[in-house]
Amino acid sequence: MNVIVNGNIFEIAPNSRIEGLLKSLDKPLNGSALAVNGEIISRTKWAEYRLCEGDNISLFQAIAGG
Amino acid sequence: MLTESEILRYSRHLLLEDVGEIGQQKLKNAKVLIIGMGGLGSPAAMYLAAAGVGTLVIADFDQLEVSNLQRQIGYQTADTGSDKVKLMKQRLNSINPEIIVRCINRKMDAEQLSLELMMVNLVLDCTDNMHSRHLINAACVQAKASLIVGAAMRFEGQLIFFDHNQSDAACYHCLFPKSEEQVLNCSNSGVIGPVVGTIGTMQALEAIKYILGLPSGIKNRLKLFDGKTLDWQTFTVTKDPNCSVCGQKK
Ligand SMILES: [Zn+2]
Repeated sequence: MNVIVNGNIFEIAPNSRIEGLLKSLDKPLNGSALAVNGEIISRTKWAEYRLCEGDNISLFQAIAGG
Repeated sequence: MLTESEILRYSRHLLLEDVGEIGQQKLKNAKVLIIGMGGLGSPAAMYLAAAGVGTLVIADFDQLEVSNLQRQIGYQTADTGSDKVKLMKQRLNSINPEIIVRCINRKMDAEQLSLELMMVNLVLDCTDNMHSRHLINAACVQAKASLIVGAAMRFEGQLIFFDHNQSDAACYHCLFPKSEEQVLNCSNSGVIGPVVGTIGTMQALEAIKYILGLPSGIKNRLKLFDGKTLDWQTFTVTKDPNCSVCGQKK
């Protein structure tokens, strides 16, 4: 199935969980947050949360500067 | 009651239905703690002073460096080497002599922070590092203190409001769990001045709205600002019941 990750279409296995997607993205997750369709999914749920066809995923890093 | 000089000074507030004399009095009675007097804290403190927030407590332990001046617009070149909070207090009182400004010129531990939180209505996190952000968040959760968090780096900004008065409030740790991982800050990644200024200005706007009792657009909602496209993205943050800072299972 296809999902959108930061604006790019990305193919993953059906019923993939967030953790599985992140593994296949092979991106550093330093202090990152992840949202599915505009809602932040807390890190404690990444292992269980199942993605759906067409989900719009945003992955971004915490900024500390000021 | 506002004095005659206050009525003159705040006339553009008094014309607004959402402020008026009652709102101006609320601003006058308010006490706001601003932690960090850098690129976020400078405009935030200056706008809140100008708006007539009656008591501002400003905290920072740095001295002004020449490399700060590219974005920290409250300061002057001739003042490098001096304590930022002392310089900013002078600046704020010269903008508005009607308000009280108190300085905290040292690094606060959790204990001092919790004492300070008891004396204010609202906290602005304008710091520049993850350690302070998590320390402030945990203290605000514990004290049920309302917290407006701003951050900026490169061309990007982040903004969110955690109203810890309310039981459904998420916290900074729900959003960005504490970790030893390297995160980006201004000194290792650089930042454009107007981006950090925009976020600090928004923190001041949200602070004024909170004091006036107006609804917030960023309560449990993270705003990401892209300084290149000028787009704002919005993400809902829900309280994580498993959060080790604010959750039930802590
Ligand atoms: Zn939390």
